[in-house]
Amino acid sequence: MGLLQRLATLLPLANHWLHRFHGGVSPQYNKSLSASQPLRTTLMPSQLVLPLQQPVGLPAEPIVQVGERVKKNQLLAQAGKDPRKALIVPIHAPTSGTIEAIMPMTLPHPSGLEDLCIVLKPDGLDEAIDNALQVDGSAPQTPQALKDILLQAGIIGMGGAGFPTYAKIPSEAGKIHTLLVNGAECEPFITCDDLLMQTHADEIVRGALITAHALGAKRILCGIETNKPAAINAMRHAAKQLQHDNLKVEIKEVATVYPMGAQKQLTFELTGVEMPSKAHAVDLGMLMMNVATYAAIYRAVTLGEPLTSRIVTVSGLGLEKPFNMPVMIGTPFVELAEAAKPKVALDYPLVMGGPMMGFQVQNNQVPVLKTTNCILANPPEPAEMQMPCIRCGACMDACPVNLLPQQMYWHAQAHEFDKVEKLNVFDCIECGCCSYVCPSHIPLVQYYRHAKSEIKTIKAEQQATELAKQRHEFKLARIEREKEEREARLKAKKEAVKQEVAAASSAATDAAKPAKSAAAAAAAARAAAARKAKSAATQAESPAIPPARLKAIEAAKAASARAAKQTAEKSPEKTQQAGAEDTTLDAKAAARKAAQLAAQKRAQAKVSGNIEISDNKESANTPDSKPDPKAAAKAAAMKAAAQRREKTQQAGSSQTAEASTSPKTEAIDLTGSSEATPASEKEAARKAAMAAAREAAKARAAAKKQPVSEALSAAEPGASSSEVAPDPAEAARLKREKAMQAAKARAAQKRQAADNSNAASDASSQESSS
Amino acid sequence: MIEAIIVFLGLAIVFGLLLGYASLRFKVEGNPMAERIDKVLPQTQCGQCGFPGCKPYAEALAKGESEVNLCIPGGTEVMIQISEITGREPKEMDAEAAEPKPKEVAFIDEDLCIGCVLCIKECPVDAILGATKQMHTVIQKECTGCEKCVPVCPVDCISMQPIEITTKNWQWPEPQTVQEAK
Repeated sequence: MGLLQRLATLLPLANHWLHRFHGGVSPQYNKSLSASQPLRTTLMPSQLVLPLQQPVGLPAEPIVQVGERVKKNQLLAQAGKDPRKALIVPIHAPTSGTIEAIMPMTLPHPSGLEDLCIVLKPDGLDEAIDNALQVDGSAPQTPQALKDILLQAGIIGMGGAGFPTYAKIPSEAGKIHTLLVNGAECEPFITCDDLLMQTHADEIVRGALITAHALGAKRILCGIETNKPAAINAMRHAAKQLQHDNLKVEIKEVATVYPMGAQKQLTFELTGVEMPSKAHAVDLGMLMMNVATYAAIYRAVTLGEPLTSRIVTVSGLGLEKPFNMPVMIGTPFVELAEAAKPKVALDYPLVMGGPMMGFQVQNNQVPVLKTTNCILANPPEPAEMQMPCIRCGACMDACPVNLLPQQMYWHAQAHEFDKVEKLNVFDCIECGCCSYVCPSHIPLVQYYRHAKSEIKTIKAEQQATELAKQRHEFKLARIEREKEEREARLKAKKEAVKQEVAAASSAATDAAKPAKSAAAAAAAARAAAARKAKSAATQAESPAIPPARLKAIEAAKAASARAAKQTAEKSPEKTQQAGAEDTTLDAKAAARKAAQLAAQKRAQAKVSGNIEISDNKESANTPDSKPDPKAAAKAAAMKAAAQRREKTQQAGSSQTAEASTSPKTEAIDLTGSSEATPASEKEAARKAAMAAAREAAKARAAAKKQPVSEALSAAEPGASSSEVAPDPAEAARLKREKAMQAAKARAAQKRQAADNSNAASDASSQESSS
Repeated sequence: MIEAIIVFLGLAIVFGLLLGYASLRFKVEGNPMAERIDKVLPQTQCGQCGFPGCKPYAEALAKGESEVNLCIPGGTEVMIQISEITGREPKEMDAEAAEPKPKEVAFIDEDLCIGCVLCIKECPVDAILGATKQMHTVIQKECTGCEKCVPVCPVDCISMQPIEITTKNWQWPEPQTVQEAK
């Protein structure tokens, strides 16, 4: 090893023999900028911004109110649902103060998007709740006990990915045989883990021992890069002091090469196990966490402290006095950067993370997250001109994951994302080695990031398309099934009516003429009532029509009662239908009824004739079957409606009439067939109402826009906020009023139409009673 | 001479039978081309192509009864895929359809909805929830953005809104492509 290292100083190529994984680069580290400074004391920021959305999972739900005073370590937001499934971690107050607002703020995310954040104004007292997690300080014996504490403490991976630690740990004891401690902080400029290891080595070692004890791990391996000798010494010392008989932390020096700190690369380096694609270290019985995470675990388990602060490196070539500092989560970037005495005004974007994997934030006010290890202030340099790829293959030699960056670049540029995926772009750790070595200065990682998000979108779209297809097919099948069912019902009804009529006609051979006119009137009234009931059923929109509707329902009920009575009475010879009632009737009455029935039938023929005019197909079978008036009218209407529906289907304009709307179409058809004028009136009324409603909607939209523009034009924020508040409410009220008026107009028109037909039916029923 | 004829006749009979059996055994149901076209169509079921859904359009295309450039939501990309499957010449999209539009989903202003169920009837994927005289709402996840519900609404309470971009669905922008060196 020593020989190789000496060789490497002479021959840079020999660097590759110092580590196991392929590729890697050795950039200018610039670590001494901040590592040479002692850890500073925590800065009390003017405000703390705590995003509800963590890097992984869904946003938490706030449980505090604006204006509430909170203490340090108090729970501010937690998961509403089962947190174990949705990967939600709770958020705690980093210091005491008042909640100023819960509002959207810019996130430290490459997109610069805004999301809901809790804004905390510190009062400077730093009053804390001791043992906020209510732990007894003893080491958890089972993985589940440890996981519960980690969930409550809100601990997430502090190395960069930010995956909730409780979700990362397996629930079964003994599944993890080797616990890995990641002390290989490989990115240039960043020294926060280095300083943590130097100052809090015992906390890290204790955290690792607690975790290993709970999980039943046999071995703990800690990898630290050779460029942190002080940290290695401190860790070795702590490990020696704290070792048990059977469990100790083995400190291993690893070569200084970027990206040694990447999970898969360090695992390979420490254990010699190269992790397969798509597999997690946990599947292989190994678990790796960052040193800062172990320290946080120790503090949570023994002191009951939730994760509310972390060490952050504030460094960069643009700062006079770079430093490391334990920083409260939520501290704005710019306040920390200002504390490091910038050489020139900070009018350029700061970088979160290191120069290799970090990203520029869109707004320097963004807060420190649990995953923020470094704030970098490098003044903008003239960007190197991007040149075409010369296919030198340097990126391929540098790739620590053995991918083919050049091929992926070509396909990504050509938007052939399926080919990029086949080249395993999802195994890319976005370390930036390829971009770093590229002589043409091609931002290769940008292409892979873009390709990854494109592929994800395409996959999501494919899923959505498949789902849409299934749902559409299901809907078509349902419509088909409903249609068949309706037809079957109709057919059964027709059959029944046919049989009934046949029985009745055979029973009443001799018709009594004098009863004819009265019976005819009664039949007509019944038919009208039935029609009325139907049309009334459709006027469902407004509750203002109950009188007309009730009347219609009553009329329909009466008609059906009469019809039932008659069916019971009309065939005294037919035992199965007449039942008990017919035994009580004497023969004379029976004969009279039969005569009446025959007369009625003649009347029916007339009614069905009317319907035939509108429906020529029905005319073929109604005279033969001679159903009773109600059934005939209904059947005819239904058939007409069905036909109409079929026609519209063929035209392709409307695919279906759902069960809920079919009564309406039927009724409209019915009114159209027998009383054409009211129907057309109704239609016209509806159209007018629709137009009115549309106009109202437009007016509403305009009204909505107006207050907004007013608010925008208002210069003083105080005045505008007081003005804006009532305006939208008023607009909404106006909106509702207008909609109500339109609805009322519609209802009134419908009521009128209903009254018309109601009057007609009343007249006919009077006639029948006389 | 006669043996040769017999041998070849025998061979012909054997292969004929084999082919006949194969044509029955491996018979392809339906038109596979229609299936393939249906797969590339966006399944919005919007009917902007003049057919009552994506499948009817795919079937018409497979029969060669329709143009390849009618799918408006799919845009040029889908048109090229269709022309590749059908082996026909790609045809330019109409001017307005050529520009890709960001996906939008329907949104019901619940203050205005009167509960008429007309939009529910119209929705091809059952993405609208509601009942008669009950306020309706769109299941955003299921909405395909076909805009069929917009014209049927009697009170114009449905509007198409672009999908909100959050940190979850945000995409890394594509880096600017290299200018070719001269």
